Amino acid sequence: MSSDPRTSYDATRRARVRRTAIVLGLVALGFYLGFIALSVSRAQ
Amino acid sequence: MATTTVHNADHDHHDHKPHGIGRWLFATNHKDIGTMYLVFACIMFFVGGTMALIIRTELFQPGLQFVDPQFFNSMTTMHALVMIFGAVMPAWTGLANWMIPMQVGAPDMALPRLNNFSFWILPFAFTLLLATLFVPGGAPAGGWTMYPPLMLQTGDAFPFVIFAIHLMGASSILGAINVVVTVMNMRAPGVGLLNMPLFVWTWLITAYLLIATMPVLAGGVTMLLTDHFFGTTFFAASGGGDPVMYQHIFWFFGHPEVYILILPAFGIISEIIPTFSRKPLFGYGAMVYATASIAFLSFIVWAHHMFTVGMPLAGQLFFMLSTMLIAIPTGVKVFNWTATMWRGSLTFEPPMLFALSFLFLFTIGGFSGLMLAIVPADFQYQDTYFVVAHFHYVLVPGAVFAIMAGVYYWLPKWTGKMYDMRLATWHFWISTIGVNILFFPQHFLGLAGMPRRIPDYATQFADWNMVSSIGAFIFGFSQLMFPYIIWKCVRGGEKVGSRVWEGAHGLEWELPSPAPYHSWETPPSLEVIARGAEH
Repeated sequence: MSSDPRTSYDATRRARVRRTAIVLGLVALGFYLGFIALSVSRAQ
Repeated sequence: MATTTVHNADHDHHDHKPHGIGRWLFATNHKDIGTMYLVFACIMFFVGGTMALIIRTELFQPGLQFVDPQFFNSMTTMHALVMIFGAVMPAWTGLANWMIPMQVGAPDMALPRLNNFSFWILPFAFTLLLATLFVPGGAPAGGWTMYPPLMLQTGDAFPFVIFAIHLMGASSILGAINVVVTVMNMRAPGVGLLNMPLFVWTWLITAYLLIATMPVLAGGVTMLLTDHFFGTTFFAASGGGDPVMYQHIFWFFGHPEVYILILPAFGIISEIIPTFSRKPLFGYGAMVYATASIAFLSFIVWAHHMFTVGMPLAGQLFFMLSTMLIAIPTGVKVFNWTATMWRGSLTFEPPMLFALSFLFLFTIGGFSGLMLAIVPADFQYQDTYFVVAHFHYVLVPGAVFAIMAGVYYWLPKWTGKMYDMRLATWHFWISTIGVNILFFPQHFLGLAGMPRRIPDYATQFADWNMVSSIGAFIFGFSQLMFPYIIWKCVRGGEKVGSRVWEGAHGLEWELPSPAPYHSWETPPSLEVIARGAEH
């Protein structure tokens, strides 16, 4: 493991970037499926 | 002239740019991807503009002259889809790609390969969409809102359109995720949320709107697809479904979409007016909160597009009043821009001219929006040319002029050269005069009762239609000046320094002009950040 603070900062930032992107992707997917589910429940 | 010029050596000789077609196909550089978005948007602007000219040519005088009604309806539908999803949205994404990393001190967007993917989806989406002009049954003709059951009567074009919409949505969502991730994680140390440029702020809020609403549109059109091909009845009353539910779903997307198209414009105007007033923006914090307020309100006003389908009185009151509330944060913005100019040392270069035109003409569009928010009045205005005039005032001298203002503002930074200011000033005046001749008479037509989306009309509407069409030709053909001015600038022009405009402020102006292929590989120091903010 590198002790270079810059490398460690980059690794932390990479993890943060990945986490934020996944969360936002899940939010988008939630809206997509949520509105279809809402429509299914309304149509019954 | 309030520009600064230099005659120093090129700064980009260490850039190691990739060459050939691979540079564009496999682009991960935010500037290259930004350029591709802007070129794509420009092409689509002319494709959509050609459709608009076909519409206005047919409406030049009463009677059917040039096209049959089915094709006319296809033109109105395709014009809207192309302009919204192909021209304005990609133009904003192009500007975001170019400017956000430079403005927050980041070396690139956070997810460069995703960025490449977001862009390259678009040409496929629009090939599918435009291909519908050549399939049996013709292009979709039920309006850009794609209401069932009319949309379900589309011929072979139906699956093409639905797939194209899904692709456009995916592209927008991925682009928006990239913007949020970049702004939240890639800001240079010292660039705090509350000292980011307004363009970054407005784009951040726009990106959240995109993430929340584009999937809703995708859900709606997925259900249209299953209704058409798989026997579901989401929107068919005969099977227990409800066609009005589609309208709710569509406008839950559609109203925030209007703000997706206009919020980045607010950001650009908030950059340009302080620069050419040589004063800091009046009420920075208020501008940020006003943008956030507009975004929040945009989620709770959707049914003002549907007053005439019938809804309880409480619903009408709620949607009328919530819509009117939007005038407050929008008013804050207009007054803050005006206050920024107050006692400023104003000069009127092309970006400022377009920004001022935006200020006046967008406000006209805002006022007619307030008129449309009033329920009993809306019952009269619904589906008339008054609505057409309203949203074109918001979108053309609003969004499109702001895009042009932004391009004229940052083009010297991108190319390192100054464009032909005289020609750009001519472009501004012809556009502004043309756009008013084009759209202002449509208010009169609407108030007199002319319905929208019709290829023929009663003779009482002939005069103003002719005036409107003349305005369309003036405005439409004058736009050819825009790519010519850009091309001429790229080919040659007076070299400019890093701070192109005397009153410019922000980190992008701390970079040399043209901006190096790789910028801020080392984050800017606190001293540079402070210097950027000072001006």
